[in-house]
This record gives sequence, C-alpha cells and structure tokens, in this order.
Amino acid sequence: MRDFRSICLTAGLGLAALGGWNANVQAAPLGEGAAPIKIAINEWTGQNVTAHVAGHLLEKLGYHVQYVTAGSFPQWIGMEDGSLDMTPELWTNNLGDIYPKLLAEKKVEPVGDLGLNARDGWAYTSATLAVCPGLPDWKALLKPECAAALATAETLPNGRLVDYPADWDTASAKEIEDFKVPFTAVPAGSEGALVAELQSALAAKQPLLLRFWAPHWLLAQTKELNWVDMPPCNPKDGGRCILPSPVIKVVRAGFGEKWPAAYALMKQYQLAADDQQKMMFEIDQNHKPIDDVVGQWLEANSAKWSGWVEDAKK
Amino acid sequence: MAGPDAVMNLPGKPFSFADLGALAVPAAVLACIAASAQWSWIAAFPQDWTLPIAGAINAALGWIIPAILPVTAALSRALAAILTALVLVLQFIPWPATAIALMMVGLRAGGPRLLGLCVVAVAYVVLAGFWRQSMATVALVLLAVPMSVLGGFVLGLGAYLVPRLRRPVEALFDFMQTFPAFAYLIPLLLLFGFGPVAGLVATAVYAIPPMARCVLSGLTQVPRELVEVGEMAGCTPAQRLFWVELPAARPMVMVGINQTTMAALSMVITASIIGGFDDIGWAVLSGLRQADLGKSLLSGLVIVVISIVVDRLTASLFAEPRGNATRRRLPAMRKVLAGAAIVLAAGALLRLAPGFPQGLNQMAGIIDFGLLNRALLGFVGRYSGVLDAIKSGVLYYLVLPLRLGLAGAVLPTTWGFAMTPAITSAYALLATALAARQLAKGGPGKAAATLCVAMLLYVGMVAFPWPAAILVTAWAAWRVSGPKLALLATASLAFVLISGLWVPFVKSLYLVGVSVVLCAFIGGLLGLLAAHNNWFSAMLRPLNDALQTMPQFVFLIPALMFFKVGEFAGLIAISLYAVVPAIRYTEAGLRNVSPAILETARQLGCTPTQSNLFVQIPLARPALLLGLNQTVMAAITMLPIAATVGTSELGQQIYISLGKADAGMGITAGIVFCLTAINLDRMLRAAAGHLRSI
Repeated sequence: MRDFRSICLTAGLGLAALGGWNANVQAAPLGEGAAPIKIAINEWTGQNVTAHVAGHLLEKLGYHVQYVTAGSFPQWIGMEDGSLDMTPELWTNNLGDIYPKLLAEKKVEPVGDLGLNARDGWAYTSATLAVCPGLPDWKALLKPECAAALATAETLPNGRLVDYPADWDTASAKEIEDFKVPFTAVPAGSEGALVAELQSALAAKQPLLLRFWAPHWLLAQTKELNWVDMPPCNPKDGGRCILPSPVIKVVRAGFGEKWPAAYALMKQYQLAADDQQKMMFEIDQNHKPIDDVVGQWLEANSAKWSGWVEDAKK
Repeated sequence: MAGPDAVMNLPGKPFSFADLGALAVPAAVLACIAASAQWSWIAAFPQDWTLPIAGAINAALGWIIPAILPVTAALSRALAAILTALVLVLQFIPWPATAIALMMVGLRAGGPRLLGLCVVAVAYVVLAGFWRQSMATVALVLLAVPMSVLGGFVLGLGAYLVPRLRRPVEALFDFMQTFPAFAYLIPLLLLFGFGPVAGLVATAVYAIPPMARCVLSGLTQVPRELVEVGEMAGCTPAQRLFWVELPAARPMVMVGINQTTMAALSMVITASIIGGFDDIGWAVLSGLRQADLGKSLLSGLVIVVISIVVDRLTASLFAEPRGNATRRRLPAMRKVLAGAAIVLAAGALLRLAPGFPQGLNQMAGIIDFGLLNRALLGFVGRYSGVLDAIKSGVLYYLVLPLRLGLAGAVLPTTWGFAMTPAITSAYALLATALAARQLAKGGPGKAAATLCVAMLLYVGMVAFPWPAAILVTAWAAWRVSGPKLALLATASLAFVLISGLWVPFVKSLYLVGVSVVLCAFIGGLLGLLAAHNNWFSAMLRPLNDALQTMPQFVFLIPALMFFKVGEFAGLIAISLYAVVPAIRYTEAGLRNVSPAILETARQLGCTPTQSNLFVQIPLARPALLLGLNQTVMAAITMLPIAATVGTSELGQQIYISLGKADAGMGITAGIVFCLTAINLDRMLRAAAGHLRSI
C-alpha cells in the first residue's frame, strides 16, 4: 500500500535528517525534501492527468508527493491553511471569489501558464447542421428557423443555448445580447449536467447548441461536436467576449523557499491539450490506472520534460 | 401552496362569525391581484425594503469564527489524527481478514441469513473495486456515529430532565434536520479547515437528532408503574434514572443508535464535496461530474450495501433478547467479538510478512462501468421522441400553468385556445359556482379555499401578489391549527420577503408542489396496488429501500439523460426520491384499516371498487396525510441537490453561495428552507390531527 510505505519512508527520511543533518546539505536545491508536496486532485480527469504528470516529475527530482482530493472551491481553503501545496490546473474563466482574495493577500502564487491551448466557445452537434444550414458561421444562428428548431418549452420562442453553470460566471447571455441572436441561455447547473445533455443529444442525433471547452475527455470520444465561428469581438471588452481562458499553475506562498527545485520545475512545466486528451481517453475509456498511463507517456516523451528536470537540478 | 388544499379536507362546521370572515380572504386576494396592476410594490416586493441579512450574517461570522477558531482548530487536529489513523488501519488490514471478521459477527448476530448478506456485500464491494474507498467511508462513519450518539444522548436526556427545554430542543432538531447541509459546509470549512474533518463534523451534526428524539421518546414512554415501583423501593432520582428509566428505555435508545448510523451514512456524499478524502462519496461525485452513470451508480450502490449491512447488523445485535437468553448471549457475543479482533490483527500481521500480495486492497473492479452508460445512451437514442413527449406534456399542462398561471401558459400552440375574455369569464363562473355550492353545503372555509386556489391557478405562483400570499397562508395556518401557527407562518414569510429571496422561494415552492402532486398520484397508485397484492408489495420493498438509501445525487444522471437540463430533470430527480414515503404510507394506511369494517362493507353489498373508494381510503386519510407530509419533507430535502441540474430556485442560491464561499447567503437561503419545511410540516400535521379526531 502506497500510503503506508510513503509514511514509513517519510518517517525514515525524517530520522535520517535528524541523524545526519550534514548529509542533506549536498542536496540543497531540494529544500525540505522529506516533507511531501501535497497536490490537489480536482473532480475532472484532465486535471488529474496534469496533477499526476507533475507528481511523477517531482518524484524524479527526489521529492515525495501526496495526492489530495479537493473540490475546486474548497481547495482554496486547503491552499490557505497548508493542507494543499499546489493546484496545477486552474481555469481562469472560473475563478470564484476566494482565489482573487488569496492572490491579493499574497497567500498563493501563480507560476505561469500551463500551456494547455484551451478553447472556449459555442459548439453544436452535427445533427444541428440539418436545421441550421450555414454553420459553423455564427450568422446561421440568426435565422428564425434555426432558433425555432432549437427552442424548448422554457425558451419559446427563442432557441436554447445550454450554458455553463450559473456559478461559473459566464458571458454567453451578454454575447447573445450583443449579437442579437434569437437565443436564451439556460444554465446547466453543473458540468455533469452539461455533459449528460451533450451525450444524450449525440446519442439521439438531436440538434443542440451549447457552450463548451477543450480539452475535454468527451472530445477524445466523439467527432460529432463542432465549434461555432464566433463573431469578431473586441478583446478589451473583457466581460462581453468569449475568449479562450488561460489555464495556470498555482502554488502556495512560500513554496519556492521550501522546495526550490520543485518551484523551478513547476515554473517550467507545460502540458499540451492533445497529450492530456490522449491520456484522458486511456483512463476514462480504456479504464487503465492513471499511474500506468502517465508513466508510459513520460517514458515515451522524455524529450518534452527532461530539460525541465535537468534545469531544476542546477 | 399546500395550505388551502389541506383546509379543503376539513369537515364542515356550523356557520360561525369566523367562517364569515373566511370569505373576506378571497375578496382581499382579488383586490390584491387587481391592485398589483396599478401599484408595482404589490406585484413584486420592492428591492429597497429588503434588509442585508446575508451581509449581517457574514459580519457576525467574521466575529464568531476568529473567536472560536483556536478551539475548533485544536479539535480539528485531534479528529484528523484519529481519522487518519483509523483509515490507515482499516485500509491496511487485507480485505479477506475484514470479511471473515464481519461474517463471524454477522453469523452470531443474525444467523445464516445475515451471514449470507455479509458475504454478498463484501463480494460486491470487492468486485466493484471500491474496497479502499469504502474503508475510508466506514472510518468516517465509525468516528461520526459515537459523537452523534453521545451528543444525541445528552440532548435527549437533558430535554427529558428539564421539561421546559423540550420545546426549544425539538425546534432545534427540526432545524438541524431540514437545514440543507450544503449551506453549512462553508462555515464548517472556515472553522475546521480544509479536509475530511469538516465533512466529519457535518455528518455528526446531521446525525444527532434521530438519537436525541429516540432517547427522549423512550424515556417519556417508560410505564408510570415502573417508575412508581422504583420510588417505592426508595430510589433517589439519580438511582431511578440509571436503574429504572434508562434500562426501560433501552430498546428505543437502540433504535436511536440504528437511526443515527443510517443518517450518518446518508450524509457521506454531501460531506465529500469538500474533498480531502478519497472515499466513496468522492467516487460518486466525480462520476456525476463526468456524467458517468455507471461509476456513480456502482459506487452509490456500495453505500446502499454498507447501509443495509449496518442496519441489519445493529438491529440484530440490539434486538431484545428473548427470555433468559440474555445471560448466555452477551458472553457469547463477547467471544465472537474477541475472535473477530484476533482475525483482524492476524490479517494485519500477515500483511507485514514477506511475499504478501500488497495490492490486494487496491484490486481494480471487474464490473464494467461502461456497459451501463452505453445501455443508457442507447435507450436515450432510441426513445428520445417518447421522452420528449412526456417532458413537453408535463411542462405545458402542469408546470407552466402553475408557474405562469393559466393566463400566461394557455396558448393556442399548446392548449389549442387562448385565454380570451370569454374563456376567462367562463373559468371565473365555474370557480364561483363551485364555491357557491360548497357555501350552500355549509362549508364557507372550503368555498373560500376554492376561490383562492382558482385565483392562484389563474395568475400563477410567481406572479401571485405577496400580500395575498401572506394573507392566504396565515388564514390557512389559523384554520388548521390556531393563532400560534398563523403567527409563525406570517413571520416566516416576512423573513423571506425582507431577505430578498421571495422569487427563488416561490419557485422552490412550486417545484415542491408539482413534484408532490406527481408523487402523491404515482405513489398513491403504487401503494394502493401494494396494499391489495402481497406479491407486488414484496417486489416493491427492496426498490423502496434502494431509492431511499441510494445517494440522492445518483438520481440526477438518468433524469438528465432522459429529460435534459432544466426544471423537468430536477422535478424527476425530486420525485424519484420523494415518491417512497407516498408509497409506504399509502400501503401501510390502507392495510391498517380494520378488516371487520371492510367485511361489513362487503356484506352491505359494496363492490371492491366501492369499498376501496368510499370505505378504505377515507378511513386511511390520517395516514395518507402523514405520508403527504413526509413526501413534502423529502421533496424539500432533495431541492438543493436538484439545483445541480439547472433549476433556478433556493437550492441554486445555496449552490452558488458554496461556489463563492459566501456563508451569509447560503445560511440565509438555508433558513428559508427550514422555515418552509417547518411551517408546511406543522400545517399538514395539524390537518392530519383534525382528521384523526373525527
């Protein structure tokens, strides 16, 4: 069992540290190498992949890592009180109220973009093409027939756009207003709800317009979801524009002093959407254990990460 | 609102001055509706009149939390240490050892049947691949239950010893049981820090009331003679308590422990929203997030399985020993427990031995999650037309009329006609005629209620003017119970208004209303069938058990897949959970009607249908109304969970506040929840009481 062994190891290392303090000086960049680095595990598989890749790399440097499950909002309380040390995949389009507060108080520190070339926007199932010819151009949505075909009892006479959950602070309603498309945004309530809606529309080959993002494990599974070419919008007009949101890595304040090499590694760490999506597919669809999938990917792609590890060792 | 419906069931009383006043109610409502077109403050409660209650709560919490944080932080560290140790031990012992120990206890406590159940349970958990996570859940429950049992025992005993405390303590229990757990997760997180301890405390708090209630009721039901014997024997009050009353109340105390354990198990999922703990709850939640029904259902079933085993095991262990078996039973039980402990220790030692398969407890499950998902999607793909038709039917003919009123929902495209002035006057005439008939029969209360309901249906719940809503509710509460309840109801509604949550509150109420109507209809029908057919009843029972112990979140996925994001999916999820009490109380109520009366009815020449409709159902009315009460309570419990499928009501407010970590907003919405539940409960109970006294 990993927990037990890691506790034994930690205890052993702790004793070693007490016994031979001088022996540890040599590995100075590691910092407090005996203390495990606690990585947040959020609710979605993509994040779990990001977290485990980071964890494996940190282990290669000689650290001990611990994966701690954490809700995407409650995790900030953990980052504040020290139950968590880093959260490797933060979507900046859905920050909530706690993160900005912690950032202002300098209790957490962003360590750069994850390099996940994320995509965010309106999407439609292939069956929608039959009722809204002209897609992916957004102007196809202006036609009344298109809106009527996508209308439901709750949105009549407008068409329905299934939107992100209300607590994600989405800009879709404002977009609809700005571009005068005859649609009403209906918040989905949760990611599960959004995915279930999409899956059932795909299964029933029904038309559906929704807001979605990539990378997402569902995209590794289907080719039937397409992106709408959004109308041009002024990026300065922040709240009224759907732009791909940067995905960043965040560590707890003091991470750099405690674990200098880990900090250097985390600053460099990048993960591409394609790589993440492929691993997600292996885990979710082929039911392979996440550690095996990540281990195999690291072995096959050492060119991508060996530089970061070498740099961090210096 | 359920109030007027309950009133309509009241028997006609002699005409009195108060009844004359009743007819003033519909008149006033009509005046309000007419006035709302003129003055906007009647139609919608003005924003300027609301008070910043959420802000005040946040400010108060800002004071309280730092003050008690040192205590809770220390407590949190202690609990975390115990919990971690317990999880470590339980996850370290190889599962075959745990299984053998469990089976030994099961065989001793409940014979071969219980042994069989234990075997099936362990086999399921191992085959599904959730052993590790389920041990974390068991550890959480093992730690939470003693805390709740102790707390509940002290509270129940205190309420018994100081009768003046009884009412406030009862009210506190009502509050604890109806307050949505989502709403107090944020303050608990702030107090106990991130991690499983906050979830543990939430679970322990939630599970206190059943224990306390059972202790109190057990002690108050001790036979008077027994207490007198104790007094005659010269007991001091303390001696009497410990040697006479508590032993006599033992069976109820044991029921309390059993109920508390069940309550703790049902909270596990909600507690795991916080995270920090790789348990079954987390598995259900992450399955839900991926819309992975297979994973959610399989992991949800683990909780059902654990609940059933714990329920039967505690029930058998605590069962009243018959005759002189007591003396032989206890030492034998002790021997078995000692044996089980030895097995566990041996298992742990064996694991340390070299060559032991270390991965035993982490074996992957062999049940394929994906199969279920594919089956579900296949079904949706095939029958989406039928499912959509059901959805539109309920939406157009039940949901929209209640929300927007007939005035807004009746459209030529759906109903085939519009509410033209002619049709509207016909509707008004019909309602007036019905009311006039009731008045003539000597039921002015009924007549007034009919008129109020007719007006409510016409304008819809959302547009129903708030002064009229307060008036009708207060009047209904006065009629069924008295001035006290009327005052409570008025104060509660006033709180909702000034907190600015009126619109979400009304939306919640109508969602509860629609689902209760659906449940009463479907559950009543199933209960009726079950009452007449033993075979059907036996088929229904395990289904009911599963629906009630299955983590509520699991209902959301099929509801979503079938009926899409929106109110209807929420409605179905609520109904799946709330239909169980409707079935159970209907069946029990009908079965309890005395056979002698039914025999008389048969001899008088009633056909079975007549005897059903005119004898059995009217006689079972009190039980049916209590069932309705339980259905309403269950529907309210489910509301915050249904918010995750896109309903826009109070539950959504709580959910958003959880995301924003806005404790004040969550607590305010939670209080509105409690007040709604408590008022409806009191009204329905009072109405049931009236019926029973006939």
